[in-house]
Amino acid sequence: MELALLDMLGIFAVGTVILSLLVGEHVRGGQQLSLLYLLQLVIVSFMVSSSESTQFSSALTLELQGVTMSWRLDGLGLYFALITVATALFVSVYMVGAWGAHYRKQGGSLPLLHFALSLNVLTMLLLLASGDLLSLFIGWELASWSAFLLMALAGGTALKSALRYLVYAMAGAMMVFGAIAILVVEAGSFQFAAVNSALVQLEAETSLLLLLLVVAGFGVKMGLLPFHLWQASAYAETPGPGAAFLGAISSRLGLFAILLVLFKVAGGGWLNQSLAGVSSQTLLAWVAVATIIFPTFTAMRQNDARELLAWHGIGQGGYMLLGIAMMDPLGAAGGLLHVFNHATYQAALFLAVSAVIYRTGSSDLNHLGGLVVRMPLTFVTMLVGIIGLAGLPPTNGFVSKWLVYRSLLEQGEVLLFVGAVVGTLGTILSVYKLIHNSFLGSLRLEHQPIREVPWTMWLPMLLLSLIILLSGIFPGVPLQWVSAALLSIGLPVPEFNLGGVVAEGGSLDMRIISGVLFAGFAMAALIFYGMGGRSRRVNPLDNYAGGHFLYAANRYHYSNNFYAGLMHLIKPWYRGLFQRIEQAVVRLLAVAAGLVQGIYLQAQAGRMALVVTVLLLWWGSYVGQGGGGL
Amino acid sequence: MSTEWLPLVVALPLLVAFLLQPLAHWLGVRAERPSPVLYGLSLMTIAATLWITLQLGSDVIAQPLSVTMGGFNTPVGINLYLDGLAYLLLLATQLALLLLWPAGAAVRTHVLLLVLAASSMGLALSGDLFNLYVFYELLAVATFGLIAASPGRAAPLVSFRYLLLSGMGSVLALSGIALIYSHSGSLNLADLSMLAASGEGSLPIAAFLLILVGFGVKAELFAVNSWVPEVYSVTSSRFAALLAGVVSKLAVVMIVRILLLLFPQPEATDPLLLLGILGLVSGELAAWRSNDFRRMLAYSSIGQLGMIFIAFSLSLELGLFAGLALSFHHMVVKPGLFLLLQQPLSRWRVVLLILFALSLVGVPPLPGFWAKLALLTGLVEVGGWLNGVAAVTFLVATVVEAGYLFRIVQRYYQEERPIAGSTSSTVAAVESPWGWEGGVALMLGGVLLAVTLTINPVTEQLQQIALQSGDRERLISTITVSEVE
Repeated sequence: MELALLDMLGIFAVGTVILSLLVGEHVRGGQQLSLLYLLQLVIVSFMVSSSESTQFSSALTLELQGVTMSWRLDGLGLYFALITVATALFVSVYMVGAWGAHYRKQGGSLPLLHFALSLNVLTMLLLLASGDLLSLFIGWELASWSAFLLMALAGGTALKSALRYLVYAMAGAMMVFGAIAILVVEAGSFQFAAVNSALVQLEAETSLLLLLLVVAGFGVKMGLLPFHLWQASAYAETPGPGAAFLGAISSRLGLFAILLVLFKVAGGGWLNQSLAGVSSQTLLAWVAVATIIFPTFTAMRQNDARELLAWHGIGQGGYMLLGIAMMDPLGAAGGLLHVFNHATYQAALFLAVSAVIYRTGSSDLNHLGGLVVRMPLTFVTMLVGIIGLAGLPPTNGFVSKWLVYRSLLEQGEVLLFVGAVVGTLGTILSVYKLIHNSFLGSLRLEHQPIREVPWTMWLPMLLLSLIILLSGIFPGVPLQWVSAALLSIGLPVPEFNLGGVVAEGGSLDMRIISGVLFAGFAMAALIFYGMGGRSRRVNPLDNYAGGHFLYAANRYHYSNNFYAGLMHLIKPWYRGLFQRIEQAVVRLLAVAAGLVQGIYLQAQAGRMALVVTVLLLWWGSYVGQGGGGL
Repeated sequence: MSTEWLPLVVALPLLVAFLLQPLAHWLGVRAERPSPVLYGLSLMTIAATLWITLQLGSDVIAQPLSVTMGGFNTPVGINLYLDGLAYLLLLATQLALLLLWPAGAAVRTHVLLLVLAASSMGLALSGDLFNLYVFYELLAVATFGLIAASPGRAAPLVSFRYLLLSGMGSVLALSGIALIYSHSGSLNLADLSMLAASGEGSLPIAAFLLILVGFGVKAELFAVNSWVPEVYSVTSSRFAALLAGVVSKLAVVMIVRILLLLFPQPEATDPLLLLGILGLVSGELAAWRSNDFRRMLAYSSIGQLGMIFIAFSLSLELGLFAGLALSFHHMVVKPGLFLLLQQPLSRWRVVLLILFALSLVGVPPLPGFWAKLALLTGLVEVGGWLNGVAAVTFLVATVVEAGYLFRIVQRYYQEERPIAGSTSSTVAAVESPWGWEGGVALMLGGVLLAVTLTINPVTEQLQQIALQSGDRERLISTITVSEVE
């Protein structure tokens, strides 16, 4: 058997898992793991860059229960695989050295964390490479459960959040299971091609049901409304680098699977049908917009930096789905490009927040501030990251959002556009809260002695920031991967060049935009310094305000109850609707469970037995007298 | 080895059971004191039956055999019928008994367990309804005694309640059998299956339903299963494992035998499906609500058996395999869970627990997944609204199942890091010795992993067995050919 490129990738991924158990105990042992991630990245990059083959198949096929399972990576899978492995590499470098030692000192199990991370990468690659419905479902389940492991390993409240995730994920998986069962029974095969050709004869109701099951089932994992409640706390409680990995890419698997099934397997036809008079495409777009708006404004309320970021992660997923739901070249490309962009800045932001926790022991936005003077590199990372998250030039987040907006306007979807813009407004406000409350303002007295994080931590952060900027200035590079991904699932591809997208009625060239922007900055700097602007460093406490000297006790950095006025205005809107729905479901279940438990706890054990016997005998006589079956 | 030895499988434990008490008297063993001699003798008896079964060989999967007793032909005489399914059940019963036999038990317990062994194997082998009923009653009596002998003040009450329910079941089953006898004049399964084709009137169907409810008591069928949570939480975990693992499956298989051979029409499978759904819903929901882990597992067992009933209510080709796969899977997993929860949880035990839980939930590529896949595709393929309801229930129940099973894991982590000052007795700070129970659980975990790796051949065998036990003609011909000339 000749080893295909994909098999080598698989072997390295398995090797990482095994090695993580062997060397994970040592803080330096993570280096070998990083090296293995690097090797995986090299292989994936080679696959991505080689243009002669559009699909990399594995030589390995497995026949289980008469079903032939095969694995292959095509454009879509490669795109996600690239992000997965790259994120794992950055995160693992971060975990080596100081952070790992710190984590271990706090009572965490470093080998377990390494193991969970590498297991996530392996199972995600399995999912991304799935070549039929069975391997898709197996990959999906395995990836979901390894994500659970990563979330749960901190124990305590993290485990509680992870269990909540577990229930949601199982619900999603069971919807998918049902959909796959229907598809397989209809087609008589697990293979994509056979399923695709069998879909033609499907009844309208069945395909609508399938659409619902697939979107909702896979959507649980990407936090699609109304299945989003689990995500923020589950991700936030995960140990820093793990949270970065989960937030950056693990949460996007839902999108991957939706794209795969909706477009590659079903050919996109399901989105054309209408549900209660509304086309399901529009409906999907509105779900996406709701997913943008609600979580984003919930993020604004958070006082924990990790929670804030995790809530944004949910909202940003909405942009991706919104773009793809437009199904036109600009929208689809924008939505898919946002996956990459989001991964870069979300990883950078989580790592930066994790760095703050590493030094200060807190991510409480009410009890931080002024860290810019102590941790400048982390500050830079966070600055670049939040610009990306807010979608402002010259970062990559701007490009993808621009594409999505552009597509919305071109399609004449003004309301959707307004919704998306409202979401962006919330994003800008809340990311300002994030950076202001943690890095700006006055440094707290207890944070005076801290220093910048060690290089193993700032290096991946700065590299990520660099990627955010570079892929913002030259979006053509990621767009190339995106176009391969779009081609592989049969969606239209926009015309693009290194600097951006060429479209009728206005192209986007980030090189020009960034050039103008940087020229502006240069001009301002020139004016400031050229006009003799002199700045003198003073200790933040060596100052006075209102005629009074400042003491450490009087802080002039208002971070507590940030946005009080705004919150007062929009507070009535926070109704906790979804929380209530969730609670209602749980209570309903509890009541039902109490009732059925009552059956078992009756004093007269025979009573129910008697009732059932009589009913059955009645049934027997009913049937015997010619009544039909149920 | 000649097939004439087959009856020994049933007769030997019975014989030893009757001799044990006089032997104890002769040896001067006091009734309440454990005796290594009697323990060894009982174990050797079971081992002997295991040896006989193994000697008969696994070729019964290809060619089932039937042994006629006492030189009388079938309508009059009684016969034992050994096919692949019965063979597997025999092996499972014997292995479970060997592994779970309580070492330091009193004479009485040994006797009762031997009776339980004989009647279980008799159930697996019975070729006619009358025998089935006799062995079923014998099994019930042995179970009462064993439950009543459990330590704890609740045991006699629980045993009495079980006795009432079981007695009611026996009466119902007996009336069902009497109805069939008055209708057909025979109790031999092969004879009956030939007669069953004429399914006119409400009498046969009523007879089946009565038998269903009657035997359903042991099979944890909905509404006649309220003994399950009580009994499982009172008895020792070994006995609970035995009841939930093996005995319930024997009863299920009896029901299935009768169903397949006599009443393959939808009027009979529909109530089974409905009761299966109700059992699934009620079991899983009650398990979700209960805070006591033993009870949780008991309720969960009800849910799982509901799932098995749903599977068996499907058509022959689809349902039989799914049902058998689910049954055997449950036979491995549930005892493992009962045994694990017997001891304080520790890190590696939690890992094992998670393995069992994952398989029970149906996470690929563990065996539970394949069983559930077979059930779900079967339900979708057969279609119809009731099957649709069953499929939805099944999916929802799986979510609930995952929720409560992992609550056990959560409890472990909560107690592992106790609040300062509180002492927790249920969690060991250090890895306590695994003991026999832990060892058996570990072995069951090993079986689970081994099946995961050899899923293809295992499934193939099981499919053959399902095919064979669903083959009515083969049963008829096997039993009739073996008749005494």
